[in-house]
Amino acid sequence: MQMNIQLPDLIASLNSGFRYLPTTFILSFVPLSAGLVFGTLIALVQVFKVPVLRKIFAVFVSIYSGIPSVVALLIYNLLYITQFNKIAAFFGSSLTVREVSPIYVALFTFSLSSIVLMSETIRGALLSIDKGQFEAGYSVGLTTRQILRRIVLPQVVPVILPPLTNHVVGSIKNTSIVMTIGVMDVLNGAIVPAETTYRFLEGYIASALIYWAVNALLEFLLRRLETHTGKFRNTECTDSATEYKND
Amino acid sequence: MIDFFSWQRLADNFPKLLIYLPVTFGIVGIAAAAGILLGMLIAVVCIRRVPVLNQICTVFISFMRGTPMLVQMLVAYYGIPLLLELLFGVDSRRWPKIVFVYITFALNQGAFLSELLRSSILAIPQGQTEAGLSVGLTPFRTFRRIVMPQAARIALPGLSLDVVGLFQETSLVYMVGVIDVLGRAQTIAAQTGHVLECYILIAVFFVVISLLLRSAFSGFEEKLTYGSREPAAEDADEHSAA
Repeated sequence: MQMNIQLPDLIASLNSGFRYLPTTFILSFVPLSAGLVFGTLIALVQVFKVPVLRKIFAVFVSIYSGIPSVVALLIYNLLYITQFNKIAAFFGSSLTVREVSPIYVALFTFSLSSIVLMSETIRGALLSIDKGQFEAGYSVGLTTRQILRRIVLPQVVPVILPPLTNHVVGSIKNTSIVMTIGVMDVLNGAIVPAETTYRFLEGYIASALIYWAVNALLEFLLRRLETHTGKFRNTECTDSATEYKND
Repeated sequence: MIDFFSWQRLADNFPKLLIYLPVTFGIVGIAAAAGILLGMLIAVVCIRRVPVLNQICTVFISFMRGTPMLVQMLVAYYGIPLLLELLFGVDSRRWPKIVFVYITFALNQGAFLSELLRSSILAIPQGQTEAGLSVGLTPFRTFRRIVMPQAARIALPGLSLDVVGLFQETSLVYMVGVIDVLGRAQTIAAQTGHVLECYILIAVFFVVISLLLRSAFSGFEEKLTYGSREPAAEDADEHSAA
């Protein structure tokens, strides 16, 4: 084992890792958008107490949130590798599993867990809106959709932004587990140079630096957005003000 | 399909995997215990604004929050031996791999829990500390007997979420070669070529553990909040008013 860290290798790894940053972004933002859309739908089902569906979603969410994403990823990847050819053949396609990027498995896995996570967050946020807001809306003749869009949603946004920031940062970090199924992301990209030089530590440190920079920047921007959207909420403002003071 | 999944293999693999669960419990236990201790230290450093240490802690927390657990583990696994050899001349190549996992998880939890503990400690009004000091308790005793018990109650919901999350994160340790349930599944896969049953069993293990943990924690929380209406909200209000 050679001593100390070699700067040229670190820079080579940083370069190589940066090239795969778009993949990491795709892997985190596509599932996040899916989570926002479908998570909201599931949350609405729960809040409006749609009979049977509500029970099904509640059971699914509480069970599925207990499965670590690595385990889920490994299961889906295994199913994908072993079953893809059969299913493609069934639909009359000559595609084989080797020709399709494993990134779709990762996207599927992350989307599902993002939906589950997000539905819980959004449900909590929706429940934090006073019932009187709906009643007031109905009393002036608005439809449920109008109330949701014009009255409830604008109030939900500042409530879900802090947990959403955590989701965004968490999901970017979580994408690194695609290493297990061989998708080229920042982490895998950063150790490409190490495959010839055997300087893996430099590769890992480089990827850590990239993740750190990206997440610190994102967190900073989202926290700015939080104070901005939270402006009209009196209590929120004082709360965050004391928090920042303590920082 | 028969060959792909079989109940027989599922039953056969169940005991083989079950005996590796203690590895996971060990990591969670050590990480949570060390994390709370380290987190408390960092929280106190941040609250007291101890010069240099405060800045170091801020950078440390930011790093731990901003990088993936997997990357931290890999950096620790490759970096700590180097560091040990460089600084102390200790040869750690023969150490069991799980030691590095313990270190990573403890540091990671320390960073995450420090944030939680800091906000819980700050939620206790300053007057409590002053009252303690005024009756002649030492600062340490005031903290341990008066501030900490109240802060613990506020920190508990966050702590329980953290431990549930920690449990799931331990599933990554097989990637540095530690044999936990997933690591065992890989060896079974190498021996038999069948791994789906193992993965399904592991998923079931984790689901059951997380459901049990969550219900245990919520029962515990209910017991603690009995007789006090929403302590967190009340204290937070007082704090911001002060």
